Amino acid sequence: MVKNITIFTTNTCGYCQMVKTYLKAKGMGYDEVNLDENPTRRAEAQLLSGATTVPVTIVTKTDDSQEVIVGYNLARLVPAVAVN
Amino acid sequence: MSDKKIHDLVIVGAGPAALTAAIYTTREDIETVLYEKGVIGGLAAVTDLIDNYPGFAEGVHGLELAKSLKDQAERFGAVIELGEVLSIEQEGKHKKINTLFGDVYAKSVLIATGCDYKKTGVPGELVYYARGVHYCATCDGAFYRDKRLVVIGGGNSAVQESIFLTRFATHIDLLVRSTIKASDVLQKELKKFVDDGKITVHLGVTPKEIKGNQDNGVTSVVGVDNNDKEVDFPTDGVFVFIGLKPNTDFLNDSDIIKDPIGFIQTDSNLQTSMSGVFAAGDVRSGATMQIASAAGEGATAALKIREYLEGKLVNDKPAVLSLQ
Repeated sequence: MVKNITIFTTNTCGYCQMVKTYLKAKGMGYDEVNLDENPTRRAEAQLLSGATTVPVTIVTKTDDSQEVIVGYNLARLVPAVAVN
Repeated sequence: MSDKKIHDLVIVGAGPAALTAAIYTTREDIETVLYEKGVIGGLAAVTDLIDNYPGFAEGVHGLELAKSLKDQAERFGAVIELGEVLSIEQEGKHKKINTLFGDVYAKSVLIATGCDYKKTGVPGELVYYARGVHYCATCDGAFYRDKRLVVIGGGNSAVQESIFLTRFATHIDLLVRSTIKASDVLQKELKKFVDDGKITVHLGVTPKEIKGNQDNGVTSVVGVDNNDKEVDFPTDGVFVFIGLKPNTDFLNDSDIIKDPIGFIQTDSNLQTSMSGVFAAGDVRSGATMQIASAAGEGATAALKIREYLEGKLVNDKPAVLSLQ
């Protein structure tokens, strides 16, 4: 089960919009960290993902395990946020 | 199959050609579902500023145009599904469209999957993908604030995105294999940044390798100049814009004929070699790779699809035959 979802985004990133569009369509809430508005958190996104790209989606499960999804990748995002 | 829903039209893709077609078809009560595996709006949506799309005196940001097209199509009833189409085949008198989430059926199909940026194929490109090698400036440029960048390419995208990246990077080395092929307007704009020392253009340089290490990611790009001399360009990251590749791999096992590069061949009705399957926009052989043209082709395809659904389409001699 998903406890919470955090997405690292930028203002101009089309792929970030797609992650948000998918989660909204599924009625799922998420926290957004906009790196244009919070540039000091870029290093955090980079550390979590090992990548210099957005979107980075962190799916935290109820057992506090985390799944990190780099980019807009439905093949990984769909099962990661599935209810069961 | 009799109890399955048969859509009037399935559109593969949701870029400008696809969304324009959907605006036209749904306004005429042709029930339309779009499948998009990437970004709604296509490559246009990940382009910073679109300066030559009619109706926007000051240009329009790609994301803004994409949202407007999407909202307009949805206003008339278009349904956009997020998912990948894996194949298209004829089944009886309908088309079976195999998607990542199951099969769907339609009376007609429009393929408007556009293109994606080509890879250079040099060593290091895949190793440092998303860790210093990028294909989307609007997505990843922010990670290079106050850093040096290399941009590879000499066309409109390379120049436009280089200019965009100057808002983050301290300096950009633009590596161009032959000459700059961007539009005159963009070249004039580029000159301002060259004169300001923000961008240095290196003509006649072909990338040979992207170097880096585990700790720092990309550290340099090795190029070869016209005299076969290796030149090292120290950098923190690389953005690649060297041309476009059609998104048609999913049709490799289909009856839909492509040209030698992979673009879909159509007749003058924009119909492919499979009856009832049409193609429009950048994915079509002979397309001019302009957003305005893609929108125009989307509108044309919609009208031809309506004729097809009404049994009124006058079949043309397929363009592919004239090439054989």
